[in-house]
Amino acid sequence: MRVIGTRTRRIDWEEMTSGRSRYTSDVPFRDLLVARFLRSPHPHALISRLDVARARRAPGVAAVITASDLGEDVRYHHHGGDLADRPPLAVNKVRYVGEEVAAIAAESAEEAEAALQLIDVEYKLLKPNFTPAESRGRKASVIHEHRPDNVAVRLRRRWGEEVAAPIELRGCYSYGRQSHASMETNRTVAKWDPEASHLDLWTSTQVPYFIRKEVAAALGLDRNQISVREVAVGGGFGSKSKISEHEVIVAALAMKTGGRPVAIEYSRFDEFAHTKPRHRFTVDLAMGADSDGRLLTQDAEITVDNGAYNHYGPSVTSFGCSIMASLYPFVKAHIDADLVYTNTLPGGQFRGYGAPQTTFAVECMVDELADRLSIDPIVFRLRNVHKPGNTTHAGWKIDHTKISECLTEARRLIDWDKRRASSGDGSGVGVAIGIHPSGSHAYEGADRSEARLLVGSDGSVKVFFGGADPGTGQRTLLAQSAAEELGLDPSQVDVEMMDSDRTPFDMGAWSSRGTSMGVSAVRKTARAAADELRSAAGEKAGVESSSVELSDGYAWAKEDRYSLGDLAILVGGPDGFGVEEAYISDTSLVSPDGVADISQSYSFAAHAVAVQVDESTGEITVVDAVAVHDSGTVINPTDAEGQVSGGVAMALGAALGEELQYEQGKVIGPAYVDYALPRAADLPPIRVRLIHGGNPRGPYGAKGIGEIALNPTAAALANAVSNAIGVRVRDLPITPDKIITAIAERDAKVRRWRRARNLSTLWNGVVRWLYPRGLLWVLHRYGRNFARSPSTRPIQSVERPDTIKKALSLVSSPEVAPVGGATDFLVTRQLGLDNRNVVVDLKGVKDLARIERHEGGLIRIGASVTLAELMASDDVPRVLRDTAEQIASPQIRESATVAGNLCQQKRCWFYRSGFDCYKAGGPTCPCYAVIGDHRFYHAAMQAHRCQAVTPSDLATTLLALNAVALVDGPDGSRQLPIEYFYEGPGEPALRHGEIVSALEIPSQSGRMSVFEKLNRWHGDFAIISAAASAVTTEGRFRDTRIALGAMAPTPIRLNAVEEELEGLSFSDPAIEKAAAAWLGEVDPLPANEWKVEAAYGLIKRALRNLERGSSG
Amino acid sequence: MSTPKRLVTLRVNGATKEVEIQPGSALLGVLRNDLGLTGTKAACGRGECGACTVLVGGRPVMSCVTLAETVTAEVQTIESISESALRLREAFAEQGAFQCGYCTPGQIVRGFALLSDSSLQDNDDLRKAISGNICRCTGYDPIVGALKTASSRQQQ
Repeated sequence: MRVIGTRTRRIDWEEMTSGRSRYTSDVPFRDLLVARFLRSPHPHALISRLDVARARRAPGVAAVITASDLGEDVRYHHHGGDLADRPPLAVNKVRYVGEEVAAIAAESAEEAEAALQLIDVEYKLLKPNFTPAESRGRKASVIHEHRPDNVAVRLRRRWGEEVAAPIELRGCYSYGRQSHASMETNRTVAKWDPEASHLDLWTSTQVPYFIRKEVAAALGLDRNQISVREVAVGGGFGSKSKISEHEVIVAALAMKTGGRPVAIEYSRFDEFAHTKPRHRFTVDLAMGADSDGRLLTQDAEITVDNGAYNHYGPSVTSFGCSIMASLYPFVKAHIDADLVYTNTLPGGQFRGYGAPQTTFAVECMVDELADRLSIDPIVFRLRNVHKPGNTTHAGWKIDHTKISECLTEARRLIDWDKRRASSGDGSGVGVAIGIHPSGSHAYEGADRSEARLLVGSDGSVKVFFGGADPGTGQRTLLAQSAAEELGLDPSQVDVEMMDSDRTPFDMGAWSSRGTSMGVSAVRKTARAAADELRSAAGEKAGVESSSVELSDGYAWAKEDRYSLGDLAILVGGPDGFGVEEAYISDTSLVSPDGVADISQSYSFAAHAVAVQVDESTGEITVVDAVAVHDSGTVINPTDAEGQVSGGVAMALGAALGEELQYEQGKVIGPAYVDYALPRAADLPPIRVRLIHGGNPRGPYGAKGIGEIALNPTAAALANAVSNAIGVRVRDLPITPDKIITAIAERDAKVRRWRRARNLSTLWNGVVRWLYPRGLLWVLHRYGRNFARSPSTRPIQSVERPDTIKKALSLVSSPEVAPVGGATDFLVTRQLGLDNRNVVVDLKGVKDLARIERHEGGLIRIGASVTLAELMASDDVPRVLRDTAEQIASPQIRESATVAGNLCQQKRCWFYRSGFDCYKAGGPTCPCYAVIGDHRFYHAAMQAHRCQAVTPSDLATTLLALNAVALVDGPDGSRQLPIEYFYEGPGEPALRHGEIVSALEIPSQSGRMSVFEKLNRWHGDFAIISAAASAVTTEGRFRDTRIALGAMAPTPIRLNAVEEELEGLSFSDPAIEKAAAAWLGEVDPLPANEWKVEAAYGLIKRALRNLERGSSG
Repeated sequence: MSTPKRLVTLRVNGATKEVEIQPGSALLGVLRNDLGLTGTKAACGRGECGACTVLVGGRPVMSCVTLAETVTAEVQTIESISESALRLREAFAEQGAFQCGYCTPGQIVRGFALLSDSSLQDNDDLRKAISGNICRCTGYDPIVGALKTASSRQQQ
């Protein structure tokens, strides 16, 4: 094969890398209207009143719809029958925070949002069930009347034969809610032509077919009345692999606007808060083996949190069961799975489709069994994996597998034996395997894929294909196949996709079917076209068509060559000719009992991960990751490797940090900054190896690769962590808090810290006791009635003074916001947390933008010096450069200023997620962090009503450097030591009309200073920051200053530690004790006690680095 | 409720543009909506992902959290950078450094700015330098590879 198997550039690379690809929002429209949705603020409530009359009359409003406009019996079809439980707009009842209640199309976003406020809606609150346990409890509310037990689907798989296992272990594994976080948020433009009664849709989707099907059904249209148009799609990962919740609504609006197009574009907030995440699985698993290490039994009870509606939850659950019973040839596999409704955002399709969750459980348990039997985990797996010819309990026929080779190669690549021998003390290595079908025959017709191919009279070749390429590279694979068959270069093949008028039937990109179905269809079609060309050339040359060869853009018959264009005219006339073929796979439709050979081939993989765990701070560093895959013949190695490395990265995210968290049913931190997906610096190189080798049932011998790429990774990581520290964490993601807590349990440690005893901590104790016992409920239910509502006034003007004097005269009004880079100002305005409407940009003031070194070593840093300038300056102490380097991103550091960093608002993720909290809403409102997720970004000491901390890293370092802020104001200038700079979390002690003009750092002569930070991803705000500074010239700690950030509402000095360190030599064992001298002053919340331990670890690390730095 | 628009002068991709904008507008919206430069992508609107990266005065910034009225230096977007960054773009194509392509204009602009900084040869430094640009598809290896490839070709 010439083209198949060779590294091939994406055929669309020129547009994709130049910004010319047209995504939905890049398509120009005239008279575009903007849609906004009214969403439920309540997790469970009856809609007692819904009147949109006033909104309809509001300025700029073109259309308003509610469920009554669609028909109250309309449901998304999804799996059909009584599993179809979801109306496009809420009917009489809302079941989760964010559910769509009404929708508006207006001339502008502002007008649409203003009109939303005019919708008269009243709710009668019902008791919500937030967890499957609550939903199954005796006092549970009924979420859907047709499921009084709140169980959407109950599966009971009884596979294999009863057998007794001499050794059985049990464990409960859970895999959290992960967000797809596609770079392009969900968006759609709908345009209705009233005269032709035709609807056009431009939508970021993986499945034009399903969009058309569901929109037609919901709106009572014929499918032929709907056209889905081709656009570039900015990532899907399953999120766009079926209809989402906005397409029908926007289409319905568009049918009421007299032909004007309507657009909905989800914000990043919407994307995290309102699109369907990975279902949370809890797998209570018992697995048994014999003493030779042969796996015998698998008994599982799975609970899947469905959220409030079925969005493929039933099939995700069923598929997860099939995967776990198919990983190994268990003699017995009994799986009970309950898909449980809760009053939370519904889960949905996500790359892997239940497989990552159940694979995680099985592959961790395999390691636990191997450990019990003292068998090497790879040897153990090699004894148990499937052999070619096996059929799994789920009915999957394993004709072809190279899983043993994958394991052996992973072992070699990661240097398993050596790493394993030297593991412990924080370093470890782990392995796991995975299996995945190459496309599932999940629906009638899913075994069919069609393609059309045109050969033009100019010799051009164009493929028409109905699926969508959301980034998988399928477009190029299709071109490669056509090029292979027709003797062309892939760049000579044009591929048009998606457009439902112009392309034949295909169900789209899901279930790893892009290659197995799409390439099969194009191969068949291109072969038919090639046959036509060969016959024409053979006839012309008077030879057998079988002797004609297609290559280099010509048909070669004996010595003669014929251009494809000329032959195309011969075959089809002046416009060339076209061929259309349908490929039908040899597979069986999924069956209710979960047993069917649903795919024409099954892919396998072995992943190995090596980690370094810092036991004192809980940080896990992935030092190596290898992924060895058996996906048959690889059509485009560059593409396949990219699928794998991206999948591994995504799975490492889920294993280490990514998880959507909720409080009172509302998502916490719907922003990239709060969502710990890996950034480039968080990952090691991911080494991918593809074990080649033809699989008889796939096109050119290929199998699927999109989803298996992430199935094994999380278990490999968890197994590595267990190998490193001897503790098993079974609940993903494995965040530092879980490590610290697990280690404390392992060592049966007596806790090192004591709660401070004073009036304030006593009071805190009482309040914290009361919060879960009704106080939170009262404040949440009633106190919020008095909350300040966030307001957004448009900005009136942006002023750019060029002198401090002018700046001071401008900032005298409370309406005025002095800004540096304004990078956070624009965000807090979006969030309704900053209402000031005149901006004074201080960057134009030259006097504020300088770094000066004065005699005697005093350094003066202007307020509007950017963090990038700070990093580039040789005049400032190195520790400041080191600190700045760990703040945000290079781009933000180009804009953000030193004073802006100090003055930024708190980062509490309740405060910044639209919760009416004490700080945002006022004194009658609760602090949600008291019992909400406060593991990372909240105070562990000195907090009172608000648990937030000061986010500035510079503040921590400047405190250790004894810096002073110079403040200018209407009454002149004053000096404000950093120690007194804050009155509260992120709340500078600046008086009205004052600005920070500079920071002064005293001479650091003879001093050594270091900065340490614990965070969840590179550039994130600190979970804990620590700065230490001392005179170290005598090999002893002298005049030490230690500052701790993000532990208390404001950065604090640890005077007790400083005193105990005074005079200690670097080698003195008493340093350990000195570093603990502050531990009687803390007052942690229940889930951030670990921060105290980690802060102690971070201080010790800072002191060690201080010694090293001064001796090095 | 809206405030009067204000006329601002921006230098974008070598041309001077006068644009009427709402005071306080972010540069990103002005580029995309008023100047029709849709190559720069919006993905978070909060300066957290890098998809909207443009150069201002040659320095990479997040255009979604840059006030248009404070921009005095020349703005370069992917539309002009793509021509100068052909080598980098080719390296992206060879290495598979984009999949869905949505973060790619931001990655190219960021990468282009980086290539002029010869101190960044070390893998760790390179990874830190692109950590402001989220990619959800590739796992970053191919992007690091493309930057290194383009950098070594540049030095030849």
